[in-house]
Formats: sequence, structure tokens, C-alpha cells
Amino acid sequence: MDFELTEDQTTIRKAVAGLLKDFDDRYWMEKDRDHAFPEEFYAAVAGGGWLGITIPEEYGGHGLGITEATLLLEEVARSGGGMNAASAIHMSIFGMHPVVVHGSEELRRRTLPRIASGDLHVCFGVTEPGAGLDTTSITTYARREGDHYVVSGRKVWISKAMESEKILLLTRTSRLDEVGRRTDGMTLFLTDLDRARIDVRPIPKMGRNAVTSNELFIDDLRVPVADRVGEEGEGFRYLLDGLNPERMLIAAEALGIGRVALDRAVRYGRERVVFGRPIGQNQGIQFPLADALARLDAAELVLRKATWLYDQGRPCGREANTAKYLCADAGFAAADRALQTHGGMGYSEEYPVARFFREARLTRIAPISQEMILTYLGSHTLGLPRSY
Amino acid sequence: MESEEFALVRELLRSFTARHRIGSADEAGPAARSAAQQALDGLGLAELRRTAKPVATVQECALLAEEHGRHPLTTSFLGRTLLAPEAVRLLGEAGREIDGTPALALAPDLGFPRPDAAALVAWDCEGADSALCVDTEGTVRRAELGPPAPTADLLRTVRGARPGPVVGRLTAPALRHWQAYALVIVTSELVGAARELVALSVGYARERRQYGRPIGSFQAVRHLLADATVLVEACTSATRYAAWCLDHEPPGRALTAARVAKAEAGSSAVEAVYTGMQVFGGIAQTWEHVAHLYLRRVLVGATALAPPGELLPTLAEPEGATR
Repeated sequence: MDFELTEDQTTIRKAVAGLLKDFDDRYWMEKDRDHAFPEEFYAAVAGGGWLGITIPEEYGGHGLGITEATLLLEEVARSGGGMNAASAIHMSIFGMHPVVVHGSEELRRRTLPRIASGDLHVCFGVTEPGAGLDTTSITTYARREGDHYVVSGRKVWISKAMESEKILLLTRTSRLDEVGRRTDGMTLFLTDLDRARIDVRPIPKMGRNAVTSNELFIDDLRVPVADRVGEEGEGFRYLLDGLNPERMLIAAEALGIGRVALDRAVRYGRERVVFGRPIGQNQGIQFPLADALARLDAAELVLRKATWLYDQGRPCGREANTAKYLCADAGFAAADRALQTHGGMGYSEEYPVARFFREARLTRIAPISQEMILTYLGSHTLGLPRSY
Repeated sequence: MESEEFALVRELLRSFTARHRIGSADEAGPAARSAAQQALDGLGLAELRRTAKPVATVQECALLAEEHGRHPLTTSFLGRTLLAPEAVRLLGEAGREIDGTPALALAPDLGFPRPDAAALVAWDCEGADSALCVDTEGTVRRAELGPPAPTADLLRTVRGARPGPVVGRLTAPALRHWQAYALVIVTSELVGAARELVALSVGYARERRQYGRPIGSFQAVRHLLADATVLVEACTSATRYAAWCLDHEPPGRALTAARVAKAEAGSSAVEAVYTGMQVFGGIAQTWEHVAHLYLRRVLVGATALAPPGELLPTLAEPEGATR
């Protein structure tokens, strides 16, 4: 077993941390407070060439693996930017995977270099009000008309749609009652998010307010056939490729938030003096923080194993799901303890731990709830009967 | 019961428990069990609930069950003194033909027995020569006692049993009352056990010194004990409320409260005892120490009559949908 990061991986960590050190707590506090997209941060990451970390070199990227991508996002979250920072770039980092693997050469050339340079913002349009995680129940429908499709339907919880030029859009081209298998008849597009045909409405929410989450009302959106990713009816299978990496990336983000929250709590525990001694000397403060550290360390190991397996081209469903589950819980627990350590100040926006707390909570819900992870492990890994 | 009268009864039970509580598992031999049970029977407490208008309220009986549960006692106070007499009382006229103080027969998994149960166990049956089985439809049968049956609860006497002739039937409200009452009495014993073990571990944390100071001065220990105290108070309140409901509310409402109490104690009493064990450290893992007797009692007790996994789905159903 080898637990060392490679030289390149270590460089990624250091370089990203260095790049982001100027985006301080005040920057993120204001972006979150003002619901303002972190343009400067995005430009810095794009300028550093990081957005194309997993995009193949022939399309302007670095062609690195999910291990490097998770290190990047962990470091981004850990910089103090949390989910506001991670979500601003998350989709560019690995979201284009279906296009990289299944898109036409023309579609790749048209979009991937622009993603890598940061010029093109994209969002991911899968979930729907009536479907949630039950993806095969989506009803957004794409009707073929000559060299176009005409799409109508609704999407919900579409991150960054307000800021995006294009959307990776999952539709049905055959209705559920017309297909043999539920996973058939879905088609994926990477197309313009045409405001004339798509009404984008941000959802007021608890945290991660610098990046919107939106409801989309799609009314006769015309999509050129050239924007279709791969074959008609195969969209669901194309998405499946990306599910495990998606879990790993979120795991890395949760881990990064947990780390930064713990760092801040430790710092506060050293500095804050009550009853004549630093509060971190109290076992009631110190032990929960030590507990948070142990849980973060354990969760990180599973994540490293998952990304290693994926990069080796080996099955990683069990590890990817476990990593997401453990990192989300460990990250949230660390943020919660950090808030508790800060006492009343933790509840104020003067310290960033309240923001970490709100954002860490998200990772226990998105992109898949902890409960659904358990159903995966229960049925796929343990072989128990499917519970739903 | 007048409060002075109840104070006397409780004092009677306390002096009994002080005499007959055991100091370790090795003291739970057959002779000691038999002697303790005879002494308990001699107190005449089985009359508390046997008469048509009971002498003691459910709340008073619950407090006595709690008191008994506080000590490592091998006596079948629940089965023979508090539970079976209540079943006899609820039978009314049909109950008059039942003499002696039978024990209670449960399903082999210690649940409320179903009508078609072929095998039963006589639970908490020290000194009993027969048992009564109240099934989930309200039919009450005599049960014939068999050989001793194994149980992890070393203080409890359990024997195999076979269902016998029907002696009567409980009305639907009486059955609800019976189930609620049984849940409350069993839960009260768990509450007593948890409270006592936490108290013992608090005492230990005061005395035991490490690094020159009592371990109870360490926050990691005292906070554990504070959490355990909260757990004990939670199951105490839920259980006493359920007992109050049995004295003052319709049986349906009392049954819901009793299920809540049993589910609560099923997790919090067990968790509190775990905490006490942790504070005792290695000494609590020894055979000679009483801690494992408490742990066994609450672990088995948490599954008796209805485990939390059964109670919670029942409680989740709409009101009126459950019986």
C-alpha cells in the first residue's frame, strides 16, 4: 500500500491553496450575503488553468484523473470558499464527462476548449419536481422535428443555471409507457440555455447563496440534433458513467469544508480564554474536535481508495458511495462542532463557521441523500432485496 | 392508596430489597432465589391489583416496579406480584377460579403471545406452579410449566410453557388496558435499573482516582454521566406519564403512551447503562461486578413484550388504526 500523493498531486494542492489565499472570509461572506456569483474567484481558477483538469489535452485540458480533481475541489472548499467556491466550478471539473466519452467530435471541439478556458459556463439539467432521484420518471420531453428537437418540461434544483450559457439536459424521447426498460428512451443534450424558451427562477435557500439553485420552465426549446450527446435513447446510460465520480467530488468538497471548519475551531479553541484558560483545554471542547479529526481522516481514506479505483478503471461503486456517505457526515459533524466551539459567535456571520455549517449540511442531501446511499449499499453491496 | 399507606408499602419493599439484593452473579443460586421469593410472597403485595377495585393505582405499582428494578434481585416481582394478578382482575368473574399466584406466559421471543402460539415461556416465574397467557386477541389461558429455559437475564427465572385450557376472555378495552399496563410495568423496571446503574457509576466516578484526581473531574467522564442522566430522565418521564394515563385516560390513549415509553426506554435505558459501563471501565466487565446484571436486564427487557423496532412502526400508523 502506498499512501503518498505523487509529486504532481502535492503540487496541485499547494498551487491551489496558494492561488486561493487571497479569497478570504470577507470575500466569501459578502458573496454569500449578496447572492453574487464569485466571478473573481472563477477567473482566478480559470486563469490558473484548473478548470480543464480532467478534460483531455487535445481539447485544452490536462487529462488528469478523478484523484487530481478531488484534490482540487477539496482544496478549493478547504480554502474557506466552501460549497460556494466548489459549486462555482464543480460542473466544469467533471460534469462534461458524458460529452468527453460519448459526444461527437464536433460537439467536443465546439464546447470542451471553452469549458477548459472558463469561457463557457454550463449547468446540469437532470432532476425534476416529479422525479427527484427517481431519474427514470422524468417527463421533460424532446420531440424530433427534422434537424431539431423541441423540448418542453420542468427541471428543479439546477445549480448555476442563472449563470450558465449551456445546459446538459436530460430528456425523454420515448415516454415511460413506451419503453421496455425504464432506463431506455432518455436522451442527453448539451445545448444553449435559451432564456426566450427557458424561464429560470432561483430558489431561495438556506446556504451556498453565491451560486444559484434554480427551477427551470422549458417551453418549446429548439435543440439542434448536433447538440445531442451520443445516441438517442441512451442518455441515462451516459449519465451512469458520471455518477461515481460525482459522489467522489462531493465527498471531497464535504471533506474540505470539514477540514477548514475544524481548523477554525482549533484556532478559536486556542485563542478564546474563559475561566482563565483557553477553551480548547476543556475536554468538553477538545474531545469533540479530536473526534471530528478522526472521522475526517477515516472518511478521507475511503475517498482516496475510491478515486484510486476509478482511475485504475476498476469498479468503485461501493467505495464511491461509502466515501460520499462518510465524508458528508464527517464534514457536517466537524462544521457542527466548529460552530458549537465558537458558542454564540458561531451563530453570527462574523465568523465563517455558520456558513460552513449551512453548506456542509447540503452535502448530506446532494447530489444524493445519505439514505439513498444506504439503499445502494444495502442492495448492491450487501445483496439484500431492493427496499423501494 | 393514601400517601402514608403507599409510603409504608414502599418502605416494606425497600427493606426487602436491602435484605435480598445480591452482590454478584454467584449469589443467584437456586436456594437464594427460592428464599427471596418466599420472603417476597410473604409481603402479600400480589393483592395490590387483584381486587375488583385495585388497592394500588397503576402509578403506585409502576413506582414499586421501578424500585424493584433498581436492585439485583432474583425475585419475580413483576410476573407474579404485579402482572398476573392484574390479568386475573381483568377477567372479572372468570378470574375468581384462579387460585395461587401464577406467573405470566409470553411468546418464546418474550413478545405478547399470538392466539396460535404452540410454545410459550413462563416469564418471571420463580416459585410459580402455573402461568397465565393473555394472547393478542384477549383470550386468557392457563399454561402448564415446563423445564427451565435459558435467558441472558441472569436475575430472571424463565421456564418453558405449553398453552392449556381457556379460562376467559378480555373485552377489547380490557385487552388494551392489559397491554398498556404490562408495557408500563416492564418499562418501569428498566427505568429503575438504568437509574441505579447510572447512580452507581456516578459514585464510582467520585471515588476512583487517576492522575491524582477523581475521574469524575474529567469533563469527558462527567459529561457522559450528565448525558446518561438526561436519558434516564427521558425514559422516567415517558413511563410515569404512561402510568398516569392508565389511571386517568381511556385505554387506547394509555396504550399509545405505554408504547412510547417502552420504545423510549428501549433505547435510552440501554444507552444509559452502556454509559455507566463505560465509566466503570474494566471492572464492569468482570463476572463479580453487578454491572453486567443490569446490562443483561435492560438488554433483554428492551426486547420484552415489544421491541422498539415493533413499537415504532405501530406508533407511526394513524391514530385509531392500531389496536
